[in-house]
Amino acid sequence: MPTNYEIVENIVADAGGRIVGRTKLQKIGYLLSAAGFDDTFEFEYRHYGPYSEELADAARFAPIFCNLCEAERVAEWGGSYSIFTTETARSADAPEGRLRLIEIANDADPVELELAATAIFLAKEGYDDPWEETAERKPEKAARGRLARAKRLYAELAEIDVPRPLPQF
Amino acid sequence: MRAAQRIRDPLHDLIEFEDEEFERALWDCIQTPAFQRLRRVRQLGFSELVYPGATHSRFAHSVGVFHTARLLMEIIRESEGKERFSRTKSQQALTAALLHDLGHGPFSHAFESVAKALKLPLVEKHEKVSAELIRSTEISEILNRELGGGTANDVALIIESGGPNNIYDAVVSSQFDADRLDYIRRDRLMTGTQHAGIDFRWLLANIEVGSVPQGVDQTSLRALPTFILGPKSIHAAEAYILGLFQLYPTVYFHKATRSAEVIFSELLFRIHSLTVNSDVKYTGLSEKHPLIKFFKSPSDASIFLQLDDAPIWGSLPLLMDARDAAVSDFSRRLFQRKLFKATDCYRKLAHLKSSEWLKGDIRSRAARAQIKDGMTSRIKEFHAQHVLSKGQRRILTDAGERSPYRKIQESPGPLNQIHIKMHGGETADIGTKSEIIASIQPFEFFRVYTAKEDTEAEKFIDKSLKEEIEKHANQL
Repeated sequence: MPTNYEIVENIVADAGGRIVGRTKLQKIGYLLSAAGFDDTFEFEYRHYGPYSEELADAARFAPIFCNLCEAERVAEWGGSYSIFTTETARSADAPEGRLRLIEIANDADPVELELAATAIFLAKEGYDDPWEETAERKPEKAARGRLARAKRLYAELAEIDVPRPLPQF
Repeated sequence: MRAAQRIRDPLHDLIEFEDEEFERALWDCIQTPAFQRLRRVRQLGFSELVYPGATHSRFAHSVGVFHTARLLMEIIRESEGKERFSRTKSQQALTAALLHDLGHGPFSHAFESVAKALKLPLVEKHEKVSAELIRSTEISEILNRELGGGTANDVALIIESGGPNNIYDAVVSSQFDADRLDYIRRDRLMTGTQHAGIDFRWLLANIEVGSVPQGVDQTSLRALPTFILGPKSIHAAEAYILGLFQLYPTVYFHKATRSAEVIFSELLFRIHSLTVNSDVKYTGLSEKHPLIKFFKSPSDASIFLQLDDAPIWGSLPLLMDARDAAVSDFSRRLFQRKLFKATDCYRKLAHLKSSEWLKGDIRSRAARAQIKDGMTSRIKEFHAQHVLSKGQRRILTDAGERSPYRKIQESPGPLNQIHIKMHGGETADIGTKSEIIASIQPFEFFRVYTAKEDTEAEKFIDKSLKEEIEKHANQL
């Protein structure tokens, strides 16, 4: 059974060896969990949408225990972001759906990915209109057409063949 | 304006509710059963077992948060001016400040941890329960009737949204929110501890409204307004952060308080297990006890409202008579304050090796995490082999990490940083301007608890810890 560190390493490997941003890594981890590919990490609602403390810890220590590198960069807005890289090859037996889901999420804009992951999380929580709830909770992020693009991103993700279909809303 | 109602508060002295529509509505909210219940939830849970004065309630704290929020809102009113100041948003934020803790269960965070572990959907986060109670109880009717339709929902949203979206929300959720500004002072006063003092008036006198850039990963978003501190308050801000840092080990995570919490958690786990397995008769409680009813219907908010510290303390004599050995033993320990003894693993680590092991660098933290994981596995094996009676664990663990101030790299975002306006007018994160703040490491603990008389378990812990330390000794 892989350790939490190895699970993170495998996510980055299945993303082609590179994921930019802690938020993006968190949301990819969440989508894998929501779609039934991996139930290791528990997610809860935070300011940046679904978040797992265990995943964050695993990502923090993985560079020590696995073949994963984390490089920190300063963003234009003054904060910092991480670039996770690995030379580990994509797992040969990874399901097609998992690879596709990671690919789409990894290519997405991080804000739109956050909005889509948040709506999925809220749908699972039983909200009648997860998009409206997402827009109310994140008005700034949902503005300037991002919510519409997040909806298209969700539609793309929802088409993937996964063990546990994403909620329909 | 003439005050219609007054509350005498040990921290703020008189807290007045004015005789006008908005504050009358808040006063009505205070009179509801859901809010009155907070009188019976202690702010610091089991801290009273260590600090006898710490019997203050969530009720007093909530009213204090409203009072502090009103002071902060005045700063926004002055900054925004008549034209831009939103009375509606201000009222929503002040209402959220008053009602933010409505969803705390008995013994606050201890109950929340158990609910989270048991995946009880309603109560795994108190903010979620607070929002649910605001929407579903009499409070909703008061707010929607007196302050306009939809107000209850807007207030609930501020509490459950996880962070501020505008300057008004910053009163409820930011590094200088009314919650922290009340509890750091109230908890100090009521425990009687003499450290962690802050210069409240000076901080307030130096708070301004400014805007800080924000983003997600490498993507920039529009700057968000929040509170920033004026250039003369850097030392007061340092004292505020250091105050929090001192309260973690001495009050919030005191080893005896946490011993009571882990015992209480075990007690709840056991009662829950017996309840869902139709063995209520072994708990010593009747089917009508609020705790049993709650475990049977954990999503029923009306049952949750019957639960507070009082029925738990009151039922300890019944639980002590339980036919289940674990329920009986753990409840007796709480009733008589016969707590488990702590082995502080990281302190022992520093004692056996060196303080190098307690550093905040990633390698030391990883080594500690490995030791913690190793100990956790060993304790699991110990329980598989030596169990006193069905369901009673002899070794309890408690681990956590709290940072009074996170570097921007580790924080949930720029609004969780303290921004200082420098003499030149530019704004900077205090973590980059204060060497004291930059050097603070998170308070991290891993404790193992055993009964004082259980020498076998104690020896096992001692031996296991030494072996784990040696096993990972080459990591540093």
